[in-house]
Amino acid sequence: MTEKKRPINRLKSMYPLRGLIDGMYRQGLSAAAEGKPVAWCMVNWWQGDPILKAMDVATIYPEDYGAVCAAFGAAQGYLERSAADGFPSHMCGYARNCLGYTGRMMDAGGIPEEAPMGGMPRPTLLLGSGSLCDARYKWFQSLGRYFDAPLWVLELPHPGVKEGLTPGAHETNISFIVAQLGEFVTFLENLLGKKMNRDRLDEITTDTVEMNNWWHKVNELRRARPGPMHSRDFWSSMPASLYMAADPGQTAGLYRRMYDEIKERVDNKVSAINTTEKYRLAFLELPPWHSLGFFDKLAERGWNFVIESWAYHPPRPIDLNGVTDPLERLARYSYHWLTGYYRQAYDAGEWWGYFAYPYLEYVRDYQCDGVVLHPLLSCRTATNHLTLVADRLMKKLKVPSLVIEGDIVDLKLFDPAGALTKAETFEETMDHYKKVRKEAGFSW
Amino acid sequence: MKWFMGLDIGSTASKGIITGNGRPPLYHRLPSKADYRAAAEALSSELLAKADLRRQDITATVITGHSAGDLPAKHRRIADIRCCARGIAHLFPQARTIIDVQAMSGRIIRLSAEGRVTDFISSELCAAGGGRFLEVMANILRVELDDIGPLSLKARKPVHFTTGCAVFAESEAISRVAEGAAKEDILAGVHQALADKLAALVERAGLEEGCALCGGGALDSGLIKAFQEKLGVNLLVPEQPQFVTALGAAIMAGETGRNEDKEQP
Repeated sequence: MTEKKRPINRLKSMYPLRGLIDGMYRQGLSAAAEGKPVAWCMVNWWQGDPILKAMDVATIYPEDYGAVCAAFGAAQGYLERSAADGFPSHMCGYARNCLGYTGRMMDAGGIPEEAPMGGMPRPTLLLGSGSLCDARYKWFQSLGRYFDAPLWVLELPHPGVKEGLTPGAHETNISFIVAQLGEFVTFLENLLGKKMNRDRLDEITTDTVEMNNWWHKVNELRRARPGPMHSRDFWSSMPASLYMAADPGQTAGLYRRMYDEIKERVDNKVSAINTTEKYRLAFLELPPWHSLGFFDKLAERGWNFVIESWAYHPPRPIDLNGVTDPLERLARYSYHWLTGYYRQAYDAGEWWGYFAYPYLEYVRDYQCDGVVLHPLLSCRTATNHLTLVADRLMKKLKVPSLVIEGDIVDLKLFDPAGALTKAETFEETMDHYKKVRKEAGFSW
Repeated sequence: MKWFMGLDIGSTASKGIITGNGRPPLYHRLPSKADYRAAAEALSSELLAKADLRRQDITATVITGHSAGDLPAKHRRIADIRCCARGIAHLFPQARTIIDVQAMSGRIIRLSAEGRVTDFISSELCAAGGGRFLEVMANILRVELDDIGPLSLKARKPVHFTTGCAVFAESEAISRVAEGAAKEDILAGVHQALADKLAALVERAGLEEGCALCGGGALDSGLIKAFQEKLGVNLLVPEQPQFVTALGAAIMAGETGRNEDKEQP
């Protein structure tokens, strides 16, 4: 009997990368069992993770755990628990999941039985991040209702485009980040009673940049037609970099294998979907983790998602040769992730929206026919720039956008049947704008 | 002899049309009663009886509507937004913007000269953006739904609703009744609130004349007035606005030209 092909042609090299996340949870549990330090961290775009690794602290990311719980169908119980504790439903879904999980953990006196992936063990410390998201300032602070653990928050200056390009601003901000990373090291050394091995940090930092450079190369290959890698593979592979799930040297090797597999696909014109690629799309913001099968239905219609939100992509390569202090390298690298498009945005006259500008490049370079905007009803940061993006893409590139409201965690906020009806209609819109772009002289 | 059937299975009402052979379209409507399969079967049978046709006389059927997804896939299904655009393009070739006020939601559709959808926005997960909002208010005021338009037109001092939420607006309407506000004024306020909400979406989509209003909401003269005042345009309103999507479905059935209606829906 012939096996029916799945709508999305998943990359073999994705599975080991996804497996690193399983390993991250296992390592967290082992460390806790052995009495070693465990940190609950927020995504901090490689500012603090290498330092924790250099201090042999096991790391777990409640944001990732929110996605895991949603994908395993376990999130609703935690959301209900957080609601019972008084956290409102319009608050961040990841935060509510984590607070609900923590409430259950404290009730159970340990990891709750139903927790997916073995659960998150109680942490030794918390590493917060002030980057991008306002909810994250209060979320870890709120954990103090349940247990006592030291909290450190890393800051990343977020200047506007014009302000960021003011003479002297860049180096002032780098100095600020370097100083606070130094303070973070001191905090950890005092907490853990040992000195950080700076040679080890140097090595991890180098490997982190190497890891992301391969990950960047992978994504560059995705400009090919047909698109060789679907966004579902991106989302499965992204945590390995974003959460530094394993030793970055090991992860770099896995991204390199992914590069090789995709290169072969590109050379042989193998598509990421098993239907003719009728439409190339970008997906903006995180997906509905609880309903990823939705993308199979779209793939069956010939929709190939070829690129996603820039904030989850690695930064474009940056020359750090000559920067000998690993803390400064980390500072320059994470600041570059945030501000790497500022100069182009300014030159293009798009200085007012640094969050929106990179999409103009993505949609043009990856030749997208349409963009799916996924406003997350419990996330302001991920949502408030989307209408601006839609406006700029239409005005500058004549590329239409489809709005499908939902949430990363709360499946009650997502209507898959309604979304598919909209998708069918959107094909007519994409067809219309293909003609408009052609008449306007665009290349796709 | 070619006959085409369009069935629009909505959340509260199912609407059907048979077109063909140069005859004026034949319309039929019945309540969906939450059993969409039964509604589709009854609608199709009653429509055929009205037209004095047999099932095998129908060349092609297209089924659409909010609840069409719950039906077995025996006919071609087409998204209701596309059908709505085709229906309006047929009735008003000059239309480039549509405000479609359905029971469950309101939406704005931009369309090309050929009746293709070039953009669309819906009021999404909000009861205050659709016709249900009007039904709730009619119920509170103990007024028949058909009467709310004419009553609203008699308003002297429309009530201003401070909320855009159907649930809170319901409480607010009760408070205004208790304060002695006239039903006419409350209804005019309701119409303004709904028009304000959907006009914001029109602004987002971009208003291009002519602008058509359809869906069950377009039967309401008070809502038509509120929209015209808010948008500053004369709206194109079909004689049978609640049948526009079914009409578009029948037109698209004609475009497919396939004989696929040999079974019960």
